[in-house]
Amino acid sequence: MSTLIIIDQPPYGSWEGREALDMAFSLAAFDQPVSLLFCGAGVNWLRKGQDAAKVHQKSIERNLSAAPIFGVEALLADSHACDQYGLVETELLDQATITDFGPELTARFDHVAFAG
Amino acid sequence: MISFKTLHILNKPPDHSRFRLCLSAIGPEDGLLLTENGVLAVTRRLGLNPERCFALSPDLEARGLSSQFSKEQTVSFDGMVGLTASAENVISW
Repeated sequence: MSTLIIIDQPPYGSWEGREALDMAFSLAAFDQPVSLLFCGAGVNWLRKGQDAAKVHQKSIERNLSAAPIFGVEALLADSHACDQYGLVETELLDQATITDFGPELTARFDHVAFAG
Repeated sequence: MISFKTLHILNKPPDHSRFRLCLSAIGPEDGLLLTENGVLAVTRRLGLNPERCFALSPDLEARGLSSQFSKEQTVSFDGMVGLTASAENVISW
């Protein structure tokens, strides 16, 4: 039973994305196959060099670096959104994979869910 | 009754980024059900197969949009249950 959790909200502005991350880590911790897909403004989660100390939050980059340890299968970045936000592969976190969003992608999963 | 690979339930208005994301995820064997603010899309041309596009009638009525959408494609809450049961998968956007 595989799950795809989609994050389409930008980082730091709201808690919805963090809740999505908690959902993904919880599933992975219980050995449920789960992947994360970042779309729209959500691709900004995957940008290297985040330092959130001055907005008094934990760095999402550090949070995401724990994804493989928890067993999250893939961090997927929508290619169209990467183009929109000027992200090339070398600027993305090393664990991230660029992919094309569409029916073929969502069909690979039993469940597709959002937080918020 | 027509069956779907995935039924996409969309409650976001047409200007919402997730609305566009949803449209780009609809495959040829999929269906779309508009609910809540999603029914505002009936005022636009979406270019979707009308046999596979539905809207929830209480939400259309609440917004005064019933006359803008074909009766055959309008579903009640019971009809919504039927649509979800006829789909292999459901994605709530």
